[in-house]
Amino acid sequence: MQYTIADQMVVCLARELRDGDTAFHGVASPIPAAAILLAQKAHGRAVTYVNIAGGVNASPRLAPSTDGPNMLDGTASLFGLTDIFDLSMRGGLSVAFLSGVQIDRRGRINSSVIGEFDRPKVRLPGGAGSAVIAPTCGRVLVWRGKHNTKALVEEVDFVSATGNIDVVVTPLCVFRRVDGELQLESIHATSSLAEVQENTGFPIPTREYPVTPPPTAEEMAWLERIDPDRARDQEL
Amino acid sequence: MSKLTTLQEAMGRVNDGDTVALGGNVLHRAPMAAAAELARQGRRGLHLVKTAGAMDVDLLCAAGAVASVTFGYIAYEPPYGLCQFFRRAVQEGRVEARENACYTVIMGLRAAVYGLPFLPVRGLDGSDLIAARGFKKVANPYGEGEFVAIPAIRPDVAILHVQEADELGNGRIGGPKYEDALMAKAARRVILTAERIVETARFEAEPDRTDIPGFLVEAVVHAPGGAAPGSCAGHYGIDDAQVRAFQAVTGPEELGRYLEQMAARTAHEGVSR
Repeated sequence: MQYTIADQMVVCLARELRDGDTAFHGVASPIPAAAILLAQKAHGRAVTYVNIAGGVNASPRLAPSTDGPNMLDGTASLFGLTDIFDLSMRGGLSVAFLSGVQIDRRGRINSSVIGEFDRPKVRLPGGAGSAVIAPTCGRVLVWRGKHNTKALVEEVDFVSATGNIDVVVTPLCVFRRVDGELQLESIHATSSLAEVQENTGFPIPTREYPVTPPPTAEEMAWLERIDPDRARDQEL
Repeated sequence: MSKLTTLQEAMGRVNDGDTVALGGNVLHRAPMAAAAELARQGRRGLHLVKTAGAMDVDLLCAAGAVASVTFGYIAYEPPYGLCQFFRRAVQEGRVEARENACYTVIMGLRAAVYGLPFLPVRGLDGSDLIAARGFKKVANPYGEGEFVAIPAIRPDVAILHVQEADELGNGRIGGPKYEDALMAKAARRVILTAERIVETARFEAEPDRTDIPGFLVEAVVHAPGGAAPGSCAGHYGIDDAQVRAFQAVTGPEELGRYLEQMAARTAHEGVSR
């Protein structure tokens, strides 16, 4: 089975969704968008999919931008960013996909600055909605398109957001947050424990870890239909 | 009385030091022609407000027009990367980055809409943004808990690009609405740029589809292509070559040429300048 790392990441995230979830992603999120659509279509999950452009269970043809007009294709109503935030505040959002430039051992996210806040060494994009979504939504699924010691760190320079982080999916592996700390859950078939250890800024205990189940033929066939232009590869 | 005017005259109504809310989101339906005209006119000290901004904010930072940006996210989406002009301006201390969560920008605008000095929000727990931005907390007067109080954001002017407007300032948005209507209500003054100017009868026939009531708007500009090189739903998509051309700009002379080319393109498409 031919697949890319982006395919593996999409599949990992899709498998996290459960019947009854209401799931959200924001800007610059083709991998999460593909994951939600895959969970609905390939896995038959009863997931309500809300996106930043206002789509509710839309069926967009994915593009690298995930907040454009295409994200309304197939929606029967408009439920925009303000509505989604409000929903999360009142406890109605069960899953949100968030990313960050740095993610630390405790599952905290930094998308704000490297260095001092007021005069940073590097000004990053900003956490978008993550500071209010992470503590209020049910489960946060984090993805990060790079896995190195600058991305996966012992401690973030700045806490943009922290809260209900459940899982972190990278090009190398899957971490699960257990008792407030990220624990290595599985290593993708394309990587190795040595590679994960070498590229992670906090210690990874040496022991046997499961191999992440690769994408199945059925999942790949659906992904081809959901994202024929391979927007998901743009993130890596 | 008609509120139709030229882009030049409308942007002349924006003062140095104004707080300016920009409609749209990232590269979608942002008021690009208006931003370019503000840059061309040499506006200074603007305090920009946007939930998620990209080239509009980056271009105004490149032109040296910006004192601060109140935002949740300032970057392009893949494949265009960070907003380098914004990033450098913040790192060099020329622009103040007033980072928020997108939702706290919305709540600040809502406070202004409601005529309140602040609104309490849930969320932000554990975020360093509270201390970094000096947000204060208020106790729940009816029960348990403390909530972060987000101060009102009252823009002097909201600049919004819409698909259709009439000469009275009624505006209709196609596709994603983003936070434009909220900005229109929060701001002291509103300027619309529009792909098409249509008869008021069209709004009267379907008032439930009017997003921006005309009485809130003080000036309307016919600006086809006014969101380019970003997208405008139902009209055009992202112009990849022109976004990249902007990102490649180095120095004020190249920026000046880019702005003139932008103005010429929109003028060619029928903008009254």
